[in-house]
Amino acid sequence: MDNLIIEGTRQTPEINFDVESGILKLEGRSIPENTFEFFTPVLNWLDAYVNSSPDKIVAKINLEYFNTSSSKYILEILKKLKVFKVEGTEVLVEWYYEEDDEEMMETGEDYEDVSGLPFEIISFEEE
Amino acid sequence: MGGQSIYQNELDNLEQSKEFLKRNDYSQMELQLEFKKLVEHYEELVDQVKIITKISDRLQKKLNKTNDALESSNNQLAELNNQLNETIDQLTEAKIGRRASTIVLFIAIGLFVISEVLLEPIIDDVFKDNAFVGLALKLVVAILIKPGEDFANKYMLKQARKKQMKEQEEKRADKKVDKKVKKKRKIL
Repeated sequence: MDNLIIEGTRQTPEINFDVESGILKLEGRSIPENTFEFFTPVLNWLDAYVNSSPDKIVAKINLEYFNTSSSKYILEILKKLKVFKVEGTEVLVEWYYEEDDEEMMETGEDYEDVSGLPFEIISFEEE
Repeated sequence: MGGQSIYQNELDNLEQSKEFLKRNDYSQMELQLEFKKLVEHYEELVDQVKIITKISDRLQKKLNKTNDALESSNNQLAELNNQLNETIDQLTEAKIGRRASTIVLFIAIGLFVISEVLLEPIIDDVFKDNAFVGLALKLVVAILIKPGEDFANKYMLKQARKKQMKEQEEKRADKKVDKKVKKKRKIL
């Protein structure tokens, strides 16, 4: 199975899902014109990755801003990660936010509540 | 949107329930199972709506905050720009004032030299008994220095402002052309 690498743009996040290490990175801004088109390959990749039965998955999510439809897809990604957990994979979600970005921190907490996955909410200093 | 909707799963579930309803031969057990499934989907959908609405509202707040910060930065920039323009105006006025003084000084020196070399011998010839005529002429030249300087200053300022306005208009025109070109590129 190949890694999933999608370069980030001003409107879409950078995606770097590594099969070997189980590190799934989602970084940047997510306001795609067509969220369905952008996220469908991501969800399909995760569906296929379940069959690899990885020991551990660390999802590193560092989003500056995302639109409403992206928020639904992030929820979908977390649901897929829940499937990995049910299948016996150790799953951890690292949710990154800029230290003064209260909204993004609270959003991470909401996703943690609704997904039932272990989250680490990590702040970082503005560049 | 058809087959390309972000709500594809939800639409599929709804369609399945509709298809089930079309049948008339379902048993009590099947009905119960279908209803259970529908309630589960509905519950999931409500949870989704709740979380998505909450997150969406929060991110809207973030966007508003960013917009406010941008507006405030823009206002500060506009204020700084005004201050800069005022300073540039003052500097231009000072520069032109100095140039006008220099020009008038040179003209006065020129007039003095002309009066000494060319006019003085004629005045001496014509008004032999009156030494005050030459003196009066020099006095007139001296008195005219200040109004001359003011006039030169005003004239040069007017010209500088005209030039400035012309440059600004040219810049605006260039920007308009740039915008049009960008628009065309976008269309293409």
